[in-house]
Amino acid sequence: MAEYKKPLPAISTLNQPYWDGLKRRELTLQHCNECGKIWYPPAPFCPVCWSRNFAWQKLSGRGKVNSWVVFHQAYFSSFRDNIPYNVAEVELEEGPRLLTNLVAVDNDDIMIDMPVEIVFDDVTDEVTLAKFRPARKP
Amino acid sequence: MAAWNLKDKTAVCGVGHSPYGRRLNRSTIDLAGEAIRHALDDAGLGRDDLDGLIVSFGTPIGADADTLAYALGLKLKMYNQTWAHGRFTASCLQWAAMAVNAGLANAVACLTAISFSGFRRPMMGGAGDSEGAWEAGGGHGEDPVFGMTSPGAGAALVAQKYFARFGATSRQLAAVPVAFRKHASLNPTAIMREPITVDDHQNSRFVCEPLHLLDYCLINDGAACVIVTSSERARDLQKPPVYLSGMQGLPGGREEFIWTYPGFGTSQQDAFDYQPGLQPVYQMANVTPKDINALFTYDAFSILAWTALERFGFCGQGEAAAFTQEGRIEVGGALPMNTNGGLLSEGHMMGWNHQVEIVRQLRGECGPRQVANAQLIQWANAYGDSLIYRR
Ligand SMILES: [Zn+2]
Repeated sequence: MAEYKKPLPAISTLNQPYWDGLKRRELTLQHCNECGKIWYPPAPFCPVCWSRNFAWQKLSGRGKVNSWVVFHQAYFSSFRDNIPYNVAEVELEEGPRLLTNLVAVDNDDIMIDMPVEIVFDDVTDEVTLAKFRPARKP
Repeated sequence: MAAWNLKDKTAVCGVGHSPYGRRLNRSTIDLAGEAIRHALDDAGLGRDDLDGLIVSFGTPIGADADTLAYALGLKLKMYNQTWAHGRFTASCLQWAAMAVNAGLANAVACLTAISFSGFRRPMMGGAGDSEGAWEAGGGHGEDPVFGMTSPGAGAALVAQKYFARFGATSRQLAAVPVAFRKHASLNPTAIMREPITVDDHQNSRFVCEPLHLLDYCLINDGAACVIVTSSERARDLQKPPVYLSGMQGLPGGREEFIWTYPGFGTSQQDAFDYQPGLQPVYQMANVTPKDINALFTYDAFSILAWTALERFGFCGQGEAAAFTQEGRIEVGGALPMNTNGGLLSEGHMMGWNHQVEIVRQLRGECGPRQVANAQLIQWANAYGDSLIYRR
Protein backbone atom coordinates (compact mmCIF):
# COMPACT_ATOMS: atom_id res chain seq x y z
CA MET A 1 0.00 0.00 0.00
CA ALA A 2 1.38 3.43 -0.95
CA GLU A 3 2.31 5.62 1.99
CA TYR A 4 -0.80 7.42 3.31
CA LYS A 5 0.00 11.04 4.16
CA LYS A 6 -3.37 12.46 5.19
CA PRO A 7 -4.24 12.92 8.89
CA LEU A 8 -5.20 9.70 10.70
CA PRO A 9 -7.82 9.41 13.45
CA ALA A 10 -6.98 9.72 17.14
CA ILE A 11 -7.89 6.24 18.36
CA SER A 12 -8.60 6.13 22.09
CA THR A 13 -10.05 3.74 24.66
CA LEU A 14 -13.45 5.34 23.99
CA ASN A 15 -13.58 5.04 20.22
CA GLN A 16 -11.48 1.88 19.62
CA PRO A 17 -14.62 -0.30 19.01
CA TYR A 18 -15.78 2.15 16.29
CA TRP A 19 -12.51 1.83 14.41
CA ASP A 20 -12.37 -1.95 14.99
CA GLY A 21 -15.87 -2.17 13.49
CA LEU A 22 -14.91 -0.28 10.33
CA LYS A 23 -11.92 -2.60 9.93
CA ARG A 24 -14.44 -5.49 9.87
CA ARG A 25 -16.56 -3.49 7.35
CA GLU A 26 -19.23 -2.78 9.90
CA LEU A 27 -20.45 0.68 10.91
CA THR A 28 -21.07 0.39 14.66
CA LEU A 29 -22.09 2.98 17.25
CA GLN A 30 -23.06 2.80 20.90
CA HIS A 31 -26.71 1.93 21.55
CA CYS A 32 -28.31 2.44 24.97
CA ASN A 33 -30.16 -0.64 26.21
CA GLU A 34 -32.17 1.47 28.65
CA CYS A 35 -33.52 4.38 26.54
CA GLY A 36 -32.69 3.29 22.98
CA LYS A 37 -30.47 6.27 22.09
CA ILE A 38 -27.76 5.70 19.49
CA TRP A 39 -25.05 8.34 19.66
CA TYR A 40 -21.88 9.76 18.15
CA PRO A 41 -19.17 10.69 19.04
CA PRO A 42 -18.39 7.84 21.44
CA ALA A 43 -19.03 8.59 25.11
CA PRO A 44 -18.42 6.74 28.40
CA PHE A 45 -22.15 6.35 29.04
CA CYS A 46 -25.47 7.27 27.42
CA PRO A 47 -25.61 11.08 27.06
CA VAL A 48 -29.41 11.00 27.40
CA CYS A 49 -30.10 8.79 30.44
CA TRP A 50 -26.55 8.24 31.76
CA SER A 51 -26.96 4.45 31.73
CA ARG A 52 -23.76 2.46 31.37
CA ASN A 53 -25.80 -0.38 29.91
CA PHE A 54 -24.97 0.02 26.22
CA ALA A 55 -23.71 -2.13 23.36
CA TRP A 56 -21.95 -1.41 20.08
CA GLN A 57 -24.63 -1.95 17.46
CA LYS A 58 -24.19 -2.54 13.74
CA LEU A 59 -25.98 0.16 11.71
CA SER A 60 -27.43 0.11 8.20
CA GLY A 61 -24.78 2.33 6.64
CA ARG A 62 -27.53 4.34 4.95
CA GLY A 63 -28.29 8.00 5.47
CA LYS A 64 -28.75 11.35 3.78
CA VAL A 65 -26.69 14.48 3.24
CA ASN A 66 -27.47 16.99 6.03
CA SER A 67 -25.05 19.64 4.75
CA TRP A 68 -21.78 19.79 2.85
CA VAL A 69 -18.91 22.11 1.96
CA VAL A 70 -16.23 22.22 -0.73
CA PHE A 71 -12.66 23.13 0.23
CA HIS A 72 -10.93 25.41 -2.25
CA GLN A 73 -8.01 26.15 0.08
CA ALA A 74 -5.28 23.60 0.81
CA TYR A 75 -4.97 23.72 4.58
CA PHE A 76 -3.23 20.32 4.56
CA SER A 77 -0.51 19.71 1.98
CA SER A 78 -1.75 16.10 1.85
CA PHE A 79 -5.11 17.29 0.50
CA ARG A 80 -3.62 19.73 -2.03
CA ASP A 81 -4.07 17.36 -4.96
CA ASN A 82 -7.72 16.81 -4.01
CA ILE A 83 -8.76 20.48 -4.24
CA PRO A 84 -11.62 21.21 -4.65
CA TYR A 85 -12.75 18.37 -2.37
CA ASN A 86 -16.04 17.93 -0.53
CA VAL A 87 -16.72 17.24 3.13
CA ALA A 88 -20.27 16.21 3.97
CA GLU A 89 -22.22 15.84 7.15
CA VAL A 90 -24.24 12.64 6.70
CA GLU A 91 -27.25 11.97 8.89
CA LEU A 92 -27.51 8.22 9.43
CA GLU A 93 -30.90 6.49 9.27
CA GLU A 94 -30.44 5.78 12.98
CA GLY A 95 -30.00 9.51 13.78
CA PRO A 96 -26.37 10.41 14.53
CA ARG A 97 -24.44 12.54 12.03
CA LEU A 98 -20.93 11.76 10.75
CA LEU A 99 -18.47 13.96 8.86
CA THR A 100 -17.18 12.22 5.77
CA ASN A 101 -16.16 12.60 2.15
CA LEU A 102 -18.69 11.79 -0.57
CA VAL A 103 -17.19 9.62 -3.33
CA ALA A 104 -18.45 8.67 -6.80
CA VAL A 105 -20.25 12.00 -7.20
CA ASP A 106 -19.32 15.37 -8.70
CA ASN A 107 -19.29 18.21 -6.17
CA ASP A 108 -21.78 20.06 -8.36
CA ASP A 109 -24.28 17.19 -8.06
CA ILE A 110 -24.36 17.07 -4.23
CA MET A 111 -27.67 18.11 -2.71
CA ILE A 112 -29.06 18.36 0.80
CA ASP A 113 -31.18 15.30 1.69
CA MET A 114 -29.51 13.24 -1.07
CA PRO A 115 -29.65 9.52 -0.01
CA VAL A 116 -26.19 8.01 0.51
CA GLU A 117 -24.68 4.68 1.56
CA ILE A 118 -21.41 3.74 3.20
CA VAL A 119 -18.20 2.83 1.37
CA PHE A 120 -15.33 1.36 3.39
CA ASP A 121 -11.98 2.89 2.48
CA ASP A 122 -8.94 0.97 3.80
CA VAL A 123 -6.47 3.85 3.91
CA THR A 124 -3.77 1.99 5.87
CA ASP A 125 -3.30 -1.54 7.18
CA GLU A 126 -4.74 -0.39 10.51
CA VAL A 127 -7.34 2.24 9.56
CA THR A 128 -10.54 2.02 7.52
CA LEU A 129 -12.56 5.20 6.96
CA ALA A 130 -16.33 5.44 6.53
CA LYS A 131 -16.99 7.32 3.29
CA PHE A 132 -20.31 7.60 1.51
CA ARG A 133 -21.59 7.51 -2.08
CA PRO A 134 -24.99 8.22 -3.61
CA ALA A 135 -27.35 5.37 -2.67
CA ARG A 136 -28.03 2.84 -5.40
CA LYS A 137 -31.64 2.20 -6.29
CA PRO A 138 -32.87 -0.77 -4.21
CA MET B 1 -30.09 31.95 48.86
CA ALA B 2 -31.29 34.40 46.27
CA ALA B 3 -29.20 34.86 43.15
CA TRP B 4 -27.19 38.02 42.95
CA ASN B 5 -28.89 40.61 40.86
CA LEU B 6 -25.94 41.89 38.85
CA LYS B 7 -28.00 44.45 36.92
CA ASP B 8 -26.04 47.75 36.84
CA LYS B 9 -23.82 46.67 39.78
CA THR B 10 -20.64 47.01 37.74
CA ALA B 11 -19.54 49.27 34.93
CA VAL B 12 -16.82 49.75 32.36
CA CYS B 13 -14.71 52.74 33.41
CA GLY B 14 -11.97 52.63 30.79
CA VAL B 15 -11.11 51.17 27.40
CA GLY B 16 -7.90 51.15 25.40
CA HIS B 17 -6.11 49.40 22.58
CA SER B 18 -2.92 49.18 20.59
CA PRO B 19 -2.85 49.77 16.83
CA TYR B 20 -4.33 46.81 14.91
CA GLY B 21 -2.41 45.51 11.92
CA ARG B 22 -1.61 42.52 9.78
CA ARG B 23 2.05 42.35 10.79
CA LEU B 24 2.94 44.67 13.63
CA ASN B 25 6.17 42.85 14.45
CA ARG B 26 5.67 43.57 18.16
CA SER B 27 5.69 41.34 21.23
CA THR B 28 2.23 40.56 22.62
CA ILE B 29 3.47 41.71 26.06
CA ASP B 30 4.29 45.07 24.48
CA LEU B 31 0.87 45.24 22.80
CA ALA B 32 -0.89 44.31 26.05
CA GLY B 33 1.08 46.94 27.96
CA GLU B 34 0.01 49.62 25.52
CA ALA B 35 -3.68 48.60 25.68
CA ILE B 36 -3.68 48.50 29.52
CA ARG B 37 -1.97 51.91 29.80
CA HIS B 38 -4.49 53.47 27.39
CA ALA B 39 -7.41 51.93 29.29
CA LEU B 40 -6.09 53.17 32.66
CA ASP B 41 -5.55 56.65 31.19
CA ASP B 42 -9.07 56.59 29.76
CA ALA B 43 -10.46 55.74 33.22
CA GLY B 44 -8.21 58.15 35.07
CA LEU B 45 -6.73 55.27 37.09
CA GLY B 46 -3.13 54.40 37.85
CA ARG B 47 -1.26 51.11 37.61
CA ASP B 48 -1.68 50.38 41.31
CA ASP B 49 -5.46 50.80 41.14
CA LEU B 50 -5.60 47.67 39.01
CA ASP B 51 -5.90 44.53 41.14
CA GLY B 52 -7.52 42.02 38.78
CA LEU B 53 -6.66 40.70 35.32
CA ILE B 54 -8.60 38.39 33.03
CA VAL B 55 -6.98 37.35 29.76
CA SER B 56 -8.85 36.06 26.75
CA PHE B 57 -6.92 33.69 24.45
CA GLY B 58 -3.26 33.68 25.58
CA THR B 59 -0.85 30.93 24.46
CA PRO B 60 0.08 30.11 21.72
CA ILE B 61 -0.61 33.40 19.93
CA GLY B 62 -1.13 35.71 22.90
CA ALA B 63 0.42 36.80 26.17
CA ASP B 64 -0.70 34.83 29.25
CA ALA B 65 -2.05 36.47 32.42
CA ASP B 66 0.78 35.42 34.74
CA THR B 67 3.43 36.56 32.27
CA LEU B 68 1.72 39.92 31.87
CA ALA B 69 1.42 40.45 35.62
CA TYR B 70 5.15 39.82 35.97
CA ALA B 71 6.39 41.71 32.92
CA LEU B 72 4.22 44.78 33.51
CA GLY B 73 4.77 44.90 37.28
CA LEU B 74 1.07 44.57 38.10
CA LYS B 75 0.02 43.98 41.70
CA LEU B 76 -2.89 41.59 41.35
CA LYS B 77 -5.22 40.05 43.90
CA MET B 78 -6.75 37.82 41.23
CA TYR B 79 -6.15 36.74 37.66
CA ASN B 80 -7.75 34.24 35.34
CA GLN B 81 -7.59 33.21 31.70
CA THR B 82 -9.66 31.38 29.11
CA TRP B 83 -8.15 28.92 26.66
CA ALA B 84 -7.20 29.76 23.10
CA HIS B 85 -10.54 30.61 21.51
CA GLY B 86 -12.23 33.88 20.71
CA ARG B 87 -15.65 32.98 22.08
CA PHE B 88 -14.94 33.99 25.69
CA THR B 89 -15.33 37.77 25.53
CA ALA B 90 -18.60 37.85 27.47
CA SER B 91 -17.40 35.12 29.84
CA CYS B 92 -14.36 37.21 30.83
CA LEU B 93 -16.49 40.30 31.43
CA GLN B 94 -18.98 38.25 33.45
CA TRP B 95 -16.17 36.88 35.65
CA ALA B 96 -14.90 40.42 36.13
CA ALA B 97 -18.36 41.65 37.14
CA MET B 98 -18.78 38.75 39.56
CA ALA B 99 -15.29 39.22 41.04
CA VAL B 100 -15.89 42.93 41.63
CA ASN B 101 -19.35 42.27 43.04
CA ALA B 102 -17.95 39.61 45.38
CA GLY B 103 -15.19 41.89 46.60
CA LEU B 104 -12.35 39.80 45.16
CA ALA B 105 -11.03 42.79 43.23
CA ASN B 106 -11.76 46.49 42.80
CA ALA B 107 -10.72 47.06 39.19
CA VAL B 108 -10.30 44.22 36.72
CA ALA B 109 -8.60 44.63 33.34
CA CYS B 110 -10.03 42.24 30.74
CA LEU B 111 -8.02 41.96 27.58
CA THR B 112 -6.65 40.07 24.66
CA ALA B 113 -3.19 40.62 23.19
CA ILE B 114 -2.44 38.54 20.14
CA SER B 115 -0.02 38.17 17.28
CA PHE B 116 -1.18 35.80 14.57
CA SER B 117 1.75 36.97 12.43
CA GLY B 118 4.24 36.13 15.18
CA PHE B 119 3.05 32.53 15.26
CA ARG B 120 4.53 30.74 12.29
CA ARG B 121 2.68 27.43 12.55
CA PRO B 122 -0.79 27.51 10.98
CA MET B 123 -3.27 27.94 13.84
CA MET B 124 -6.76 26.43 13.78
CA GLY B 125 -6.50 24.99 10.31
CA GLY B 126 -4.26 22.40 8.68
CA ALA B 127 -1.17 21.17 10.50
CA GLY B 128 -1.90 23.39 13.51
CA ASP B 129 -5.42 21.97 13.97
CA SER B 130 -4.63 20.06 17.14
CA GLU B 131 -8.20 20.17 18.44
CA GLY B 132 -9.58 18.64 15.27
CA ALA B 133 -7.33 15.66 15.91
CA TRP B 134 -8.92 14.99 19.28
CA GLU B 135 -10.91 11.77 19.60
CA ALA B 136 -14.25 13.61 19.31
CA GLY B 137 -13.14 16.20 16.74
CA GLY B 138 -12.84 19.95 17.21
CA GLY B 139 -15.26 22.43 18.73
CA HIS B 140 -16.16 23.99 15.37
CA GLY B 141 -16.83 20.63 13.69
CA GLU B 142 -13.26 19.90 12.65
CA ASP B 143 -12.33 16.37 11.55
CA PRO B 144 -8.96 16.51 9.76
CA VAL B 145 -9.20 12.84 8.73
CA PHE B 146 -11.60 14.01 5.99
CA GLY B 147 -9.80 17.32 5.40
CA MET B 148 -12.41 19.11 7.55
CA THR B 149 -10.36 21.80 9.26
CA SER B 150 -10.54 25.44 10.41
CA PRO B 151 -13.39 27.19 12.26
CA GLY B 152 -14.71 28.59 8.98
CA ALA B 153 -15.55 25.14 7.64
CA GLY B 154 -18.13 24.60 10.38
CA ALA B 155 -19.60 28.01 9.54
CA ALA B 156 -19.73 26.96 5.87
CA LEU B 157 -21.74 23.85 6.88
CA VAL B 158 -24.21 26.12 8.67
CA ALA B 159 -24.38 28.55 5.72
CA GLN B 160 -25.03 25.76 3.20
CA LYS B 161 -27.86 24.38 5.33
CA TYR B 162 -29.24 27.88 5.98
CA PHE B 163 -29.33 28.66 2.25
CA ALA B 164 -31.10 25.38 1.44
CA ARG B 165 -33.53 25.40 4.35
CA PHE B 166 -34.64 29.02 4.08
CA GLY B 167 -34.12 29.72 0.38
CA ALA B 168 -31.48 32.38 1.13
CA THR B 169 -28.46 33.17 -1.04
CA SER B 170 -24.79 34.05 -0.77
CA ARG B 171 -25.67 37.31 -2.54
CA GLN B 172 -27.96 38.23 0.37
CA LEU B 173 -25.25 37.27 2.86
CA ALA B 174 -22.97 39.84 1.18
CA ALA B 175 -25.02 42.57 2.88
CA VAL B 176 -23.23 41.74 6.15
CA PRO B 177 -19.58 42.22 5.08
CA VAL B 178 -20.57 45.16 2.86
CA ALA B 179 -22.22 46.95 5.82
CA PHE B 180 -19.35 46.25 8.20
CA ARG B 181 -16.79 47.47 5.65
CA LYS B 182 -18.80 50.66 5.24
CA HIS B 183 -18.50 51.14 9.01
CA ALA B 184 -14.78 50.40 8.90
CA SER B 185 -14.33 53.08 6.25
CA LEU B 186 -15.44 55.57 8.95
CA ASN B 187 -13.07 54.12 11.57
CA PRO B 188 -9.39 55.18 11.46
CA THR B 189 -8.44 52.17 13.64
CA ALA B 190 -9.80 49.63 11.14
CA ILE B 191 -7.36 47.55 9.12
CA MET B 192 -9.58 47.21 6.00
CA ARG B 193 -11.17 50.55 5.10
CA GLU B 194 -11.71 50.38 1.33
CA PRO B 195 -15.49 50.03 0.69
CA ILE B 196 -16.66 46.81 -1.00
CA THR B 197 -19.73 45.95 -3.06
CA VAL B 198 -21.97 42.91 -3.28
CA ASP B 199 -20.23 42.04 -6.55
CA ASP B 200 -16.81 42.26 -4.87
CA HIS B 201 -18.10 39.72 -2.36
CA GLN B 202 -19.52 37.44 -5.05
CA ASN B 203 -16.31 37.65 -7.10
CA SER B 204 -13.97 36.94 -4.17
CA ARG B 205 -12.61 33.40 -4.21
CA PHE B 206 -14.19 30.56 -2.28
CA VAL B 207 -12.26 29.46 0.79
CA CYS B 208 -14.64 26.80 2.06
CA GLU B 209 -17.63 26.90 -0.30
CA PRO B 210 -20.27 28.32 0.03
CA LEU B 211 -18.26 30.94 1.98
CA HIS B 212 -16.22 33.43 -0.02
CA LEU B 213 -13.02 35.12 1.13
CA LEU B 214 -15.04 38.24 2.05
CA ASP B 215 -17.19 36.13 4.40
CA TYR B 216 -14.04 35.51 6.48
CA CYS B 217 -12.65 37.76 9.21
CA LEU B 218 -9.15 39.18 9.24
CA ILE B 219 -6.14 37.54 10.86
CA ASN B 220 -3.98 40.16 12.55
CA ASP B 221 -2.05 41.46 15.57
CA GLY B 222 -3.04 43.83 18.36
CA ALA B 223 -4.39 44.23 21.88
CA ALA B 224 -7.58 45.68 23.38
CA CYS B 225 -8.49 46.19 27.03
CA VAL B 226 -11.67 46.92 29.02
CA ILE B 227 -11.59 47.82 32.74
CA VAL B 228 -14.51 46.78 34.97
CA THR B 229 -15.15 48.28 38.40
CA SER B 230 -18.10 48.84 40.73
CA SER B 231 -20.72 51.25 39.44
CA GLU B 232 -20.34 53.31 42.58
CA ARG B 233 -16.63 53.80 41.92
CA ALA B 234 -17.10 54.31 38.19
CA ARG B 235 -19.37 57.29 38.86
CA ASP B 236 -16.42 59.07 40.55
CA LEU B 237 -14.00 58.52 37.65
CA GLN B 238 -13.25 60.71 34.67
CA LYS B 239 -15.51 59.18 31.98
CA PRO B 240 -19.25 58.48 32.30
CA PRO B 241 -19.84 54.89 33.47
CA VAL B 242 -21.11 52.34 30.97
CA TYR B 243 -23.13 49.90 33.05
CA LEU B 244 -23.27 46.14 32.64
CA SER B 245 -27.05 45.83 32.80
CA GLY B 246 -27.70 42.29 31.64
CA MET B 247 -25.76 39.13 30.97
CA GLN B 248 -26.18 35.50 30.07
CA GLY B 249 -23.51 32.82 30.00
CA LEU B 250 -22.09 30.61 27.29
CA PRO B 251 -24.42 27.61 26.87
CA GLY B 252 -23.07 24.10 26.28
CA GLY B 253 -24.31 20.59 25.54
CA ARG B 254 -25.41 18.39 22.66
CA GLU B 255 -28.08 20.85 21.52
CA GLU B 256 -25.39 23.46 20.87
CA PHE B 257 -23.19 23.87 17.82
CA ILE B 258 -21.00 26.95 18.12
CA TRP B 259 -22.06 28.74 14.94
CA THR B 260 -25.83 28.47 15.29
CA TYR B 261 -28.81 28.17 17.64
CA PRO B 262 -30.51 25.05 19.08
CA GLY B 263 -32.80 23.19 16.70
CA PHE B 264 -30.76 24.10 13.62
CA GLY B 265 -29.75 20.46 13.10
CA THR B 266 -26.00 20.75 12.61
CA SER B 267 -23.53 18.41 14.31
CA GLN B 268 -25.59 16.36 16.81
CA GLN B 269 -28.27 19.03 17.39
CA ASP B 270 -31.89 17.89 17.13
CA ALA B 271 -33.78 19.64 14.31
CA PHE B 272 -36.81 21.64 15.39
CA ASP B 273 -38.33 25.09 14.98
CA TYR B 274 -36.40 27.38 17.32
CA GLN B 275 -38.30 29.88 19.47
CA PRO B 276 -35.99 32.14 21.50
CA GLY B 277 -38.55 33.48 23.95
CA LEU B 278 -37.27 36.43 25.98
CA GLN B 279 -33.63 35.47 26.59
CA PRO B 280 -32.25 35.80 30.17
CA VAL B 281 -30.03 38.75 29.22
CA TYR B 282 -33.14 40.85 28.53
CA GLN B 283 -34.84 39.71 31.71
CA MET B 284 -31.86 40.84 33.80
CA ALA B 285 -31.64 44.20 32.04
CA ASN B 286 -35.44 44.52 32.03
CA VAL B 287 -35.60 45.37 28.32
CA THR B 288 -36.59 43.61 25.07
CA PRO B 289 -34.82 43.33 21.68
CA LYS B 290 -36.90 46.32 20.48
CA ASP B 291 -35.16 48.56 23.04
CA ILE B 292 -31.65 47.83 21.72
CA ASN B 293 -30.09 50.75 19.79
CA ALA B 294 -27.18 48.82 18.26
CA LEU B 295 -26.09 45.20 18.17
CA PHE B 296 -22.56 43.83 18.19
CA THR B 297 -21.71 40.24 17.40
CA TYR B 298 -18.74 37.91 16.96
CA ASP B 299 -18.49 38.06 13.18
CA ALA B 300 -15.64 35.65 12.52
CA PHE B 301 -17.76 34.62 9.51
CA SER B 302 -20.57 36.68 8.01
CA ILE B 303 -23.20 33.94 8.51
CA LEU B 304 -22.82 34.36 12.30
CA ALA B 305 -24.58 37.74 12.07
CA TRP B 306 -27.66 35.91 10.75
CA THR B 307 -27.68 33.13 13.31
CA ALA B 308 -27.09 35.65 16.16
CA LEU B 309 -30.03 37.82 15.04
CA GLU B 310 -32.33 34.80 14.99
CA ARG B 311 -30.98 33.32 18.21
CA PHE B 312 -31.89 36.43 20.21
CA GLY B 313 -35.22 37.11 18.53
CA PHE B 314 -34.39 40.24 16.51
CA CYS B 315 -36.15 38.39 13.70
CA GLY B 316 -37.71 34.96 13.24
CA GLN B 317 -35.95 31.79 12.16
CA GLY B 318 -34.96 32.09 8.49
CA GLU B 319 -35.73 35.82 8.38
CA ALA B 320 -32.24 37.27 8.93
CA ALA B 321 -31.39 37.07 5.21
CA ALA B 322 -34.14 39.60 4.43
CA PHE B 323 -33.70 41.49 7.72
CA THR B 324 -30.08 42.45 6.95
CA GLN B 325 -30.86 44.06 3.55
CA GLU B 326 -31.41 47.69 2.56
CA GLY B 327 -29.16 49.27 5.14
CA ARG B 328 -31.05 48.08 8.20
CA ILE B 329 -27.81 46.98 9.96
CA GLU B 330 -25.84 50.08 8.90
CA VAL B 331 -25.36 53.24 10.94
CA GLY B 332 -28.56 55.21 10.31
CA GLY B 333 -30.55 51.97 9.92
CA ALA B 334 -33.02 50.51 12.39
CA LEU B 335 -30.45 48.20 14.03
CA PRO B 336 -26.82 49.18 13.35
CA MET B 337 -24.45 46.23 13.85
CA ASN B 338 -20.69 46.18 14.45
CA THR B 339 -20.19 49.89 13.82
CA ASN B 340 -16.41 49.45 14.29
CA GLY B 341 -16.26 47.24 11.19
CA GLY B 342 -16.22 44.01 13.17
CA LEU B 343 -13.79 41.13 12.96
CA LEU B 344 -14.52 41.21 9.24
CA SER B 345 -13.00 44.65 8.66
CA GLU B 346 -11.71 46.43 11.78
CA GLY B 347 -9.68 43.47 12.95
CA HIS B 348 -9.85 40.15 14.78
CA MET B 349 -9.38 41.14 18.40
CA MET B 350 -11.51 38.23 19.65
CA GLY B 351 -14.43 40.62 20.11
CA TRP B 352 -12.53 42.95 22.45
CA ASN B 353 -12.45 45.65 19.78
CA HIS B 354 -16.26 45.38 19.73
CA GLN B 355 -16.44 46.00 23.51
CA VAL B 356 -14.23 49.09 23.12
CA GLU B 357 -16.55 50.38 20.40
CA ILE B 358 -19.72 49.68 22.42
CA VAL B 359 -18.37 51.74 25.32
CA ARG B 360 -17.37 54.60 23.01
CA GLN B 361 -20.77 54.53 21.30
CA LEU B 362 -22.55 54.84 24.64
CA ARG B 363 -20.29 57.76 25.56
CA GLY B 364 -20.99 59.43 22.20
CA GLU B 365 -17.32 59.33 21.12
CA CYS B 366 -17.72 57.73 17.67
CA GLY B 367 -17.76 60.74 15.35
CA PRO B 368 -19.02 59.98 11.81
CA ARG B 369 -20.18 56.48 12.76
CA GLN B 370 -21.95 57.54 15.98
CA VAL B 371 -25.34 55.89 16.56
CA ALA B 372 -27.66 58.78 17.42
CA ASN B 373 -28.79 58.85 21.05
CA ALA B 374 -27.45 55.36 21.88
CA GLN B 375 -28.70 54.26 25.32
CA LEU B 376 -28.62 50.46 25.19
CA ILE B 377 -26.19 48.34 23.19
CA GLN B 378 -26.04 44.56 23.15
CA TRP B 379 -23.25 42.04 22.58
CA ALA B 380 -24.99 38.84 21.46
CA ASN B 381 -23.52 35.84 19.72
CA ALA B 382 -24.47 32.91 17.53
CA TYR B 383 -23.16 30.65 20.32
CA GLY B 384 -25.63 32.11 22.78
CA ASP B 385 -23.91 34.36 25.32
CA SER B 386 -24.67 38.05 25.69
CA LEU B 387 -24.16 41.32 27.53
CA ILE B 388 -26.35 44.42 27.59
CA TYR B 389 -24.55 47.71 28.21
CA ARG B 390 -26.38 50.87 29.30
CA ARG B 391 -25.18 54.42 29.61
ZN1 LIG C 1 -29.92 6.03 27.51
